Amino acid sequence: MIRALEYTGRPFIYIFEEFGRIFTFLINAITWMVRPPLRLRLVFKQMESVGVQSIIVVLITAVFTGMVLALQTFYGFRMFGGEGLVGATVALSMTREIGPVFTGLMVTARAGSAMAAEIGTMRVTEQIDALYAMSVNPIQYLVMPRLVAGVLMLPFLTIVSDFIGIMGGYVVGVFLLNINPGIFMARMVDMVNLGDIFNGLIKSACFGLILSLIGCYKGFNTRGGAEGVGKATTQTVVLSCVSILISDYFLTAFMFR
Amino acid sequence: MLKLSAEAKVGIFVVIGIIILALMAMKVGKLGLRLGEGYEVQAFFDTASGLASDAPVEIAGVEVGRVNKIRLSEGKALVTIKIYPGVKITESVKAIIRTRGILGDKYIELLKGVEGAALILAGGRILNTEPTTDIDNLMIVLGEVANDIRILSHTLASVIGGEKGEASLRSILDNLDKTIQSINRTVQDNDENVKEITSNLSAFSQRLREIGDTNLDDLQIILKNIRRATGKIGELVAGINQIAGRINRGEGSIGKLVQDDATIENLNKALTSLREITDKISKGEGTLGRLITEDQTADRLDQTLSSMQEITEKINRGEGSLGRLINDDETVESLNSTLSSINDLLKKQDMFLTYLDYRGEYLFESNRVKSYFTLRIQPREDKYYLLQVVDSPRGKETVTDTIRTVDGVTITEKKVESKSSDLQFSAQIAKRYYDIGFRAGLFESTGGAGIDYYLFKDRLKLSFEAFDFDVERRPHLTFRADYKPFKFLYLTTGMDDFISDIGRESYFVGGGFSFSDEDIKTLLRSVTFTARTD
Repeated sequence: MIRALEYTGRPFIYIFEEFGRIFTFLINAITWMVRPPLRLRLVFKQMESVGVQSIIVVLITAVFTGMVLALQTFYGFRMFGGEGLVGATVALSMTREIGPVFTGLMVTARAGSAMAAEIGTMRVTEQIDALYAMSVNPIQYLVMPRLVAGVLMLPFLTIVSDFIGIMGGYVVGVFLLNINPGIFMARMVDMVNLGDIFNGLIKSACFGLILSLIGCYKGFNTRGGAEGVGKATTQTVVLSCVSILISDYFLTAFMFR
Repeated sequence: MLKLSAEAKVGIFVVIGIIILALMAMKVGKLGLRLGEGYEVQAFFDTASGLASDAPVEIAGVEVGRVNKIRLSEGKALVTIKIYPGVKITESVKAIIRTRGILGDKYIELLKGVEGAALILAGGRILNTEPTTDIDNLMIVLGEVANDIRILSHTLASVIGGEKGEASLRSILDNLDKTIQSINRTVQDNDENVKEITSNLSAFSQRLREIGDTNLDDLQIILKNIRRATGKIGELVAGINQIAGRINRGEGSIGKLVQDDATIENLNKALTSLREITDKISKGEGTLGRLITEDQTADRLDQTLSSMQEITEKINRGEGSLGRLINDDETVESLNSTLSSINDLLKKQDMFLTYLDYRGEYLFESNRVKSYFTLRIQPREDKYYLLQVVDSPRGKETVTDTIRTVDGVTITEKKVESKSSDLQFSAQIAKRYYDIGFRAGLFESTGGAGIDYYLFKDRLKLSFEAFDFDVERRPHLTFRADYKPFKFLYLTTGMDDFISDIGRESYFVGGGFSFSDEDIKTLLRSVTFTARTD
């Protein structure tokens, strides 16, 4: 009986412990962020890795999402003669939801997994212990640049993704589905507020923090050789994606009322 | 290829991102750039249902502002609108909450009002508003229509449907069936007869044809004669028509005769006596009866009738004095003109109005009331005669100058004597040109003249009178304003004798009433009526 209760209780305790550890890890990283040396070069290196090298994959995702959105909503709106609203729908979905979330997911897959694998390998090959031995704080050296890069780069990736997604929708709507381009743009401009775009960007910054934090944390706590590295990488991707989607709901509920 | 550092790559990426963000923000967020500029105006709406902050405000479809805030004030929606700078709206503008499309958002449309009206400035208010005529109202109306249709169909169903309706329908159909059957039967039964008739007809037509073939020329002559005869008949009928028409219209003496009931009665009597006579005649009684039974008499009668016919023909052609009277249009015209001139005379009589008027003026200076009783005879709208009895508190004034010499100094004393409660009379003739009227004649038993200025459809009358011209003292000048808020009552105020050198200047206020003879007539009638009903 007691064992059964313990059995049900243990995962919850584990989850809360995990949350606590991630949070202390974050606090640790933030305190190291403001301590010299600032290691700007490392930050830029991570920004290149998280931001610049993710552009292609983010663009491809965005353009096709925008196109398929235009296609799908067109068939819906055509039922009551609202084809002109396709542009607005695509733009609103891209800026508020799909831009930030898909960018977050793609960057998780590309950069978050890389972070976990990199730091995990350094952990299992005791390079992190070596950093301690050289009195270089590994959190400042490894984690802080990745966190900063994630938070800073995700909004830029998202804005590019929004733009390209809307372009994709425009191309499909105007050239394939023969929606009047003037109405397409006018409706879009009518319906989309500046707030939609900025809230999307704030969300994407949060996603950047989540994915890099989880990537670093999982990598930092890797145990058990090459197998452990693989496990950490998988866990990073799954946990990051789930966290992004869950936090997306709450952020949206919070920001868009 | 140029080898770029990590910093450079990140830099390029960030710049591109910022440019895209700026582009999108500028495209979408024109409100962001314009918010805060412009000026605020307010408008009350009965309902602002569906209207949201930041909803556009448009003139002719062009956005000229945004809804700033909506709050409740005095049970209505007070909407504050921010109008962009450079856009001017006038006080005659009308604000309407409209819906864009069926599902669309609400926005405020401003309808441009009259050109040249005063501008609404910052903090001003649009007074002319109209709440939304939205889909809800449409639905309500549609619902009512649907209800009506339902009631209609229900009644129809109750008439047609149900056992009763079905039964009556069936009986109708049965009757139809029976009728058709009986028709069928009739046709069948008379089959033989019909056949006979048709064969007879064909034989007859054959005979006819034979006759026609042999006597074609004769037939043609006959037809010609017939045609001529019918033409004549036509003329005759037309003539009769003409006469009958005249009679019908009551023209001529015959017409009058016909239209008059008494005549008809007389005619009736005459006819009955005629019948009696004819009865006697047919029996061969009396001289006339004997006459008729003889052939000679018949011949004479024939002659008489033909001469009568001649006479009537003449009349119809307008020959002779009677004919002229009946036929001549001039007669009718002269009659008409006579009637119209009588009408004119009566009309003039109608315009002739008489007014009875009482006016009381309280003079502040002497604390007395000056009364006027006036009879105004107005033969034409722009002209009237006025007879007035004035009961002046001062009465007629006589001024005597006494010159005394006291200690070598000559003192001139003015002594004013007035006979109190002395009635004075005015008799004036007045003529009006548009809004200005002139009066001249006797003013309070002295000669004088006056001028009236009518304003606001004669509701306000400004009068200036000058009279009592005396060498010894200044003339009596009066200024007066009459305001007539009701038909019978009026208020008056002014200054009496305002340049008086004997201390008679005074302000006055007062009022009066004025009745025309028509009004009095109606009044009296209603009074007697009520008295009778009591």
